[in-house]
Amino acid sequence: MTYFISRCSCFIFILLFHHSFIIAQVDTIVLGFGGYEGVSITASGNSSESDPDNSINQDGYLPNLNAAARFLSQSTLGYNYNDIESVTLLGIEDWISDQMENKPIPFTLLDKVTEYRQFARDGLNNQEINSNSRMWDYSWWQYHMTSDDLLRQKVALALSEIIVVSEKSPFGNNGFALGDYYDVLLSNSFGNFRDLLQDVTYHASMGVYLTYLNNPKTDTLKNQYPDENYARELMQLFTIGLYELNNDGTRILDNDGDPISTYDNDDILEFSKIFTGLTWADRPNFGSNPYRDTSYIAEMAMWNNFHEPGVKNLLNGFQVPDRDPVDGNADISDALDNLFDHPNVGPFISTLLIQRMVTSNPPAEYIDRVASAFNDNGQGVRGDMKAVVNAILLDPIAKACDSGTDPQFGKLREPFLRYFQINKAFNANTTSGDYRNDMDYVYRFVQQKPLASPSVFNFYQMDYQPLGPVNDANLFAPEFQITSSQTIAGWIDGLYRFVMNENIADEYDIYSGEQNADYDDEISTIDLTTEMTMTNDNELHILIDRLNLLLAQGRLSEPTIEKIVAALKQFDNDDESDMELRVKLAIYLVMSSPEYLINR
Amino acid sequence: MSKRKISRRSFLGEASCAAIGSTAFLSSFLNLGMINTLSARPHIISNTNDYKAMVCILLAGGADTYNVLVPTENTEYSDYQTTRGDLALDKDAVNPEQLIDLDYDDNGRTFAVHGGMTRVRDMFDSGDLSFLSNIGTLVEPIANQAEFDAGIKKLPLGLYSHSDQIMHWQTSVPQSRSAVGVGGRMSDILHDMNTISNVSMNISLAGKNRFQTGNQYQEYSIGNSTTAANIGLDGFSSYLNNSGLLNDIKNNTISNVVEQEYNNIFEQTIGSLTSQTSESIEIFEAAFANIVPLSTSFSDNNLSNDLKKIAETISVRSHLGANRQIFFVTIGGWDHHDNVLDNQNAMLPVVSNALGEFNDALTEIGMHNDVVTFTISDFARTLTSNGNGSDHAWGGNHMIMGGPINGGQIFGDYPSLALDGNDLNLSNRGRILPTTSVDEFYAEIALWFGVSPNDLDYILPNLCNFYSSSNCTQPPGMNYSPLGMFS
Repeated sequence: MTYFISRCSCFIFILLFHHSFIIAQVDTIVLGFGGYEGVSITASGNSSESDPDNSINQDGYLPNLNAAARFLSQSTLGYNYNDIESVTLLGIEDWISDQMENKPIPFTLLDKVTEYRQFARDGLNNQEINSNSRMWDYSWWQYHMTSDDLLRQKVALALSEIIVVSEKSPFGNNGFALGDYYDVLLSNSFGNFRDLLQDVTYHASMGVYLTYLNNPKTDTLKNQYPDENYARELMQLFTIGLYELNNDGTRILDNDGDPISTYDNDDILEFSKIFTGLTWADRPNFGSNPYRDTSYIAEMAMWNNFHEPGVKNLLNGFQVPDRDPVDGNADISDALDNLFDHPNVGPFISTLLIQRMVTSNPPAEYIDRVASAFNDNGQGVRGDMKAVVNAILLDPIAKACDSGTDPQFGKLREPFLRYFQINKAFNANTTSGDYRNDMDYVYRFVQQKPLASPSVFNFYQMDYQPLGPVNDANLFAPEFQITSSQTIAGWIDGLYRFVMNENIADEYDIYSGEQNADYDDEISTIDLTTEMTMTNDNELHILIDRLNLLLAQGRLSEPTIEKIVAALKQFDNDDESDMELRVKLAIYLVMSSPEYLINR
Repeated sequence: MSKRKISRRSFLGEASCAAIGSTAFLSSFLNLGMINTLSARPHIISNTNDYKAMVCILLAGGADTYNVLVPTENTEYSDYQTTRGDLALDKDAVNPEQLIDLDYDDNGRTFAVHGGMTRVRDMFDSGDLSFLSNIGTLVEPIANQAEFDAGIKKLPLGLYSHSDQIMHWQTSVPQSRSAVGVGGRMSDILHDMNTISNVSMNISLAGKNRFQTGNQYQEYSIGNSTTAANIGLDGFSSYLNNSGLLNDIKNNTISNVVEQEYNNIFEQTIGSLTSQTSESIEIFEAAFANIVPLSTSFSDNNLSNDLKKIAETISVRSHLGANRQIFFVTIGGWDHHDNVLDNQNAMLPVVSNALGEFNDALTEIGMHNDVVTFTISDFARTLTSNGNGSDHAWGGNHMIMGGPINGGQIFGDYPSLALDGNDLNLSNRGRILPTTSVDEFYAEIALWFGVSPNDLDYILPNLCNFYSSSNCTQPPGMNYSPLGMFS
């Protein structure tokens, strides 16, 4: 057993012992083994300070806590100290299971937007007031600051960056269009991928975003043909990608050694015929504009007389029959089945999800294992998202902290998630329990917030290669595509505002004249009381240890810690405001460091 | 690994090793070939102190440019009208005019621009602007639909796809998916013409982009509201009595941390990017303090504000040590699968006015004869309608503006827009095979910009496919000018 632990690793012992040992006992085993040399997720990174006493008095953080934090960095959008303890108590398998089985969706964003709209209607005494984008922002924020379905939140946000709609669109100021679409992602995060495709395809937000709502059949007299937009992006981005893939994500090559396209433009023309005939469910005519803001929440309706009749030749020899009478919904069902059954979906979607959750360049064997779980959850079911999520998070490559010492492992943390983590790690709270944040403030600094991608290609693409060692090694680093000198300085400036200036959230009135006298009721404040007990010169390493655990999963190296401690010591520590400044500056310096910014 | 300023020697070595180790990507082979060529033949840069800048405006999403430049000769217009159906602009419409005539007549072929583009028409007529017609991404020339259908010619990867075509217009290497773009490669060659080596020749108003990413150098990104006052890092306000010291401690700690050696390649990358950013910020802060407000008035939209910021930046070029600058701007929202007419009515005037304002501002600062501005886009769109929009296609029409160019011209060949009997039409949707390569376009710009003909194959590795039927053993001459954009 000692040998096993010494070879690695963060999670192994938790998995082995979590049912029968409490934390102290696990610590004892680790301590008895004599440390964790060679394991880079160490407590403080400063071996002289990581002595057993620290763990006993709870001021030091041993690998199990760092490992738990590392797991949470993969499986949540943000977490606090209690979450870390919860993982160490349950073990990761039970934590995942608990999340999947015992954390229902507490409320829909649709309901929350409706509530805000009603609040505005009553406040203005006008029952015609429409929803707006801020109601969506506040609803998203309320959900994510209060709901404990941390794993679902992670998966849903990842899906929102794969099957993209964006507020940069005709419905950018419609809270229902955005909120109800996000509900689809939340409600399918632990469901089946085929159901997700169905719900997304019929969602009016997608219909408008990719312009197949009000898409009529061919009219050769007018030289008018079906819109190809959804046909193309559904294949390229949402299901199968550009090239035929092996189950491990590598490309299948032809006899000349070239990759094989999954589809050509003729296939797009055929699929474009499938997505004709859909329109608003609440309108009496095909081709109408939306009736009101809630028009977006009903599934689009099929008008068969506007749907392209006849045979459609889809992928891998599959043919949609010449249905008589025309049945557009049956055609769509066939087409979605055709794509869902394509062998690419497992490796393609798995790779994208792994990139969002664990690492930018998953090894082929990792993709193979996750894709296999997509293909068959063990009970013959294809597309089971629970199986996929389990496979991603329980994979040895995700769990092993050895992976983190591989110089090519890891990912740049998404800038929005860095911001979100501040809120979670330091228990941002409001006096009212109502959380309002339109997230435009953070967006201005880092160019990212939920459902705000500039295009259907997300904020970044899966194969983006920044200049330098990543490109030289022919590897990918998607998040670097929004990492320019503007957003680099923007993140550091943002941190200054969020943390040093305590300008963490961005609230406006729900309606003009709300007379919300005290914005503090809904504006989050972060709670640094624990950290402020650790600001004496001789305790600063304990403070940084804690931040290293909470924020960086123990990845801060000794030289980095020393530089931060040295800087903090140059600031006074005479009174409470000094203590607070030291803590805030510590957070600022930790969260601007490369060892924090890269999650590995 | 911080402060990654690789010498040419080490860059060649590293890139070659990487290429050898990774055979999965076409681009690796290609880069290897390019780099061997480059190392075997030392590049030549001129030592003059003249200043030149180019401004690349990306119309992201695939602009429907067959409604930007429209034929008005009767037969051609009739083809246009028939093919485009409900998307056709009416040349006889008044109040408002849907098309405005250009002062142009090529053996009876006449053209008009979209009715919202008065400034463009004016600049065309006065010789400050020209069009390029039916230009697109190509690996090698393709004569007609038959050659295309026969599958004997190399095609751009991901034809008609946004992500690929927008990349290929920026890299001009459409047979591969490459991180490195045309402007970036020019800066690899010409970087030493500028006197402050810490400042990139490539300045972006649109964040990261492939056009400005080279093998050695990449863009520095500013915003159109960036000023000397707001470019630096936020810090303790001056009412704290020791704020200067505290800010030094804070900022030095960030610098000292990011400049550490890192083992992980992503930490190396973010570390060196942060380090480069903070160095450039200081230089820009000092340079921007010298900006004198322009008297030219600009409209208040992102494109105009971007171009205004570029004019201001050019005006303080000496403080940035710049003899050559490449600017990059994006205006998005051109993917008009829906409502193409309404959207273009709103968006084309924005482009036209912004170009006119920028032209005025360059005249104001005395740089009209030193700056060339051009548009690019993913692709043009299907000539036929999908109801009230158009879908992805290929060859399209673009603008090039500035004192150095031959104005009032339509370079390239404006194609027939008939669906039938048109050997450039690839589909009943009306997808037009481009007859001018982006390589030919960029080659002329590169030569004007000061790139030696010997280095053209580094910047445009496919170029020889377009200028010679031989094996391209000789680079084209300095007078290479397939389109005749520069006199």
